[in-house]
Amino acid sequence: MKLLLGLMDRIRPTFQHGGLKAIRPAFDAIDAFLFYVDHRTDRAPHVRDPNNIKRYMSAVIVALMPIIAAAIYFFGWRLVGMIAVTYVTGLLIELGFAIARKEEINEGFFVTGLLYPLILPPGLPFWMTAVGIAFGVIVGKELFGGTGRNVLNPALVARCFLLIGHAPYMSTGWSAPAGGWPGGFGKWSVDAVSSATPLGAAKSGLYADWGNLLFGTASGNGVSGGSSGEVCSVLIILGGLFLLLTGVINWRTIVSLLGSFSIVVGVAAWASPGAFGRPGRTPVEMVAWQLLAGGLLFGAVFMATDPVTSPVSNLGKWIYGITIGVSTFLIRYLAGYVEGVMFAILLGNIAAPLYDEIATWLHLRRLQHEG
Amino acid sequence: MKLRGGYNVPLAGRPGADVEVLPDPDALHLPLAGRRLKFTEVRVRAGQAVRPGEILAVDPDRYRVPLLAPRAGTVTVTGKALILRDLSREQEEPYKGEELNHAAHAGTAEALRRKLVDLGAWQFVGDAFTGGLPDPAGVPQAVVVITMSFEPFTARGDVQMAKRLTSFTRGLEHIQGLLEYQPIYLAIPAVHSELAEKVRQTVQGYAYVKVVTIPRKYPFDHPALIARRLGLRSGGGSIWSLGVAGVLAVDRAMTASLPSTVRIVAVGGPGVSKPTHVKVCTGWPIRGIIDACGAAENVRVVMGGALTGQAWSPEDQPGLCSECTSLTVLRDEAPRTLLGWGRPGWSQQSFSPYYISKLRPSFTERLSTALRGERRACVSCQLCEKACPAGIWPHLIHKHLFQDNLEQAEALRLDLCVECGLCSYVCPSKIELLDQFRAAKKAIADMAAEEAEEMREKAEKEARE
Repeated sequence: MKLLLGLMDRIRPTFQHGGLKAIRPAFDAIDAFLFYVDHRTDRAPHVRDPNNIKRYMSAVIVALMPIIAAAIYFFGWRLVGMIAVTYVTGLLIELGFAIARKEEINEGFFVTGLLYPLILPPGLPFWMTAVGIAFGVIVGKELFGGTGRNVLNPALVARCFLLIGHAPYMSTGWSAPAGGWPGGFGKWSVDAVSSATPLGAAKSGLYADWGNLLFGTASGNGVSGGSSGEVCSVLIILGGLFLLLTGVINWRTIVSLLGSFSIVVGVAAWASPGAFGRPGRTPVEMVAWQLLAGGLLFGAVFMATDPVTSPVSNLGKWIYGITIGVSTFLIRYLAGYVEGVMFAILLGNIAAPLYDEIATWLHLRRLQHEG
Repeated sequence: MKLRGGYNVPLAGRPGADVEVLPDPDALHLPLAGRRLKFTEVRVRAGQAVRPGEILAVDPDRYRVPLLAPRAGTVTVTGKALILRDLSREQEEPYKGEELNHAAHAGTAEALRRKLVDLGAWQFVGDAFTGGLPDPAGVPQAVVVITMSFEPFTARGDVQMAKRLTSFTRGLEHIQGLLEYQPIYLAIPAVHSELAEKVRQTVQGYAYVKVVTIPRKYPFDHPALIARRLGLRSGGGSIWSLGVAGVLAVDRAMTASLPSTVRIVAVGGPGVSKPTHVKVCTGWPIRGIIDACGAAENVRVVMGGALTGQAWSPEDQPGLCSECTSLTVLRDEAPRTLLGWGRPGWSQQSFSPYYISKLRPSFTERLSTALRGERRACVSCQLCEKACPAGIWPHLIHKHLFQDNLEQAEALRLDLCVECGLCSYVCPSKIELLDQFRAAKKAIADMAAEEAEEMREKAEKEARE
């Protein structure tokens, strides 16, 4: 450690005032990543909590690790290639903006860069991956001022851009998950057999088995697959529990989102079994199936809870969750799209400031007789 | 208002309950400016010999609150301070009542209040909401007496009260004598100690004293929060708030007509080896105090608590100011640890529940002045909102201040902020919220003053026409 610190100290002047001054943000980012910066407080409070943004973001990365491992098992090492392409493209853009703004590189992209490949079809071409994230980072985040100031979730902006602008790529890259041992750990990629995802197959009356939805395997009737990160529900639930326990994500968003979705799906299946139900199954089973299928859980745990793009008030979070839950139902059942979570969350992002307005007004009303 | 937020910062080095008496120094450096008071009107000449308790200077803008000589000695005047040399402990000058020394006034309420001011007791009183000095001639809507202090590390009320409970209760009686029918709220921490029981039993007999029990969490001891909890409004007149030292000073002035120059100062923090209370007086060399407590090399001395205090600079102010009741000593260092952000944090205590130290029984940490992270944009994690005891939304106020939108920040009730510093303490983006809020409050106050001035001028102009 001393050796490394010594090396960093030796090369520091080159980046601070030497020949490589232009890419100083890159050096600073690596320096701060390896060792804590030695900043000290210069005013009250003179002591500070050990929590910081790196720590905050790393909790999300910890929660994603098992999901990434599962995605590699199911779809091969190609996913790592997609993550690498995303990181290189995104970080170069971040570096460009950091240099132009004379700011430091933000940690936020490390999370975005992991989330984005996980919501793409496993077989999406690398160049497409790069185009998508470039759009997402530039339009979704940097044009609004960077991490902390964006209105929309950049990973979802990137995916939305690809889905609308390059629809064929986004609907043919589906692969059937690998099975057995070593599964995808022994392969670069699994064959893209354009098998329908559980939600796609359900439109034609073919419902995936419970085991496939929970664990991502392709046993039973063989209906499984989807975006890399969404297939194994169990790991998403575990990751979500971890983030809830560590307080990184807000339980209100999750409860209101999944709760409102369950209620509308259940009520619809009960009131009109012909249109919204499944022959021979109870509304409760229908709710459970819909919760586990597709990207709903992944979106609810990792996307909708993004603190920057969700409302800042607790009441706002409740309304926001309900907006997403109900919209997901409407899009899944009544629109031409197979999956509705992405559009629903983006819609929620757009509405978030409005919900905050309402919540702030009520908050101030409560305070008006204080002090 | 129900109590919410708050957090006990787990800082090592809590001062013990004993009070150490330090030998007199060679000279006392009495600063002419403190946090609230500015003693601009100097009453002594250079070279003049003074007696203990003599008025050296007064603050002409704040009810002529005096700076008293704590010892007999010879005065040297510099721009920022009065230096007292050739110190000796003599009997204090008996109180003559400089300002109102007329037979007609003796014994009147006005004379009694003047006595409190002249004998240095009034500076212990603050307005619960504004923190400023209330008008000694006015009558408050209530008095809040606070017997504890939860900020690390400020002088503990129990230490000062333990041996002088009789003086304390007598002081309460004297305060009651200044009031008409207004209640005195006595804030006592929710603890089951012998002293707390004794205090509760003693004040049971006083009809005008109402006991308020306060949970042991910083900053629930803040007078503004106690006042809000009692349903008092800032618009209903001033609320006097004072601590144990204040009540004892009132008793000393009213019972014995003696000035209060002695200070019990808490010295704590991880930077000293012997955290304790010391018995000193205004002007005492701060260096001498912290050395007596075993200060380490390379430390930052904070005048006040670790969260709200002001860093001490030896050149600007060598001596203790008249309002300083505590010194927090922190190691001034920020170690660079390899991949520090990824460590599970067995020995790191945090407000947020990420750290596995949550699995340990509670412990105090050797916090230094390290920022422990980098400054970033706000990500609306809401930790500040969870910690805020005032029930406001610091993150939202910050966003409006970031856009220079003072009006909106004011509308979000920035005025309820008690400046406890917890929002800055917990912020993972290391945003200086406390500093921003203090500056914004000052800007809003300045704007209001300017407006009032304009209105007054306009009214005057109209009256002339």
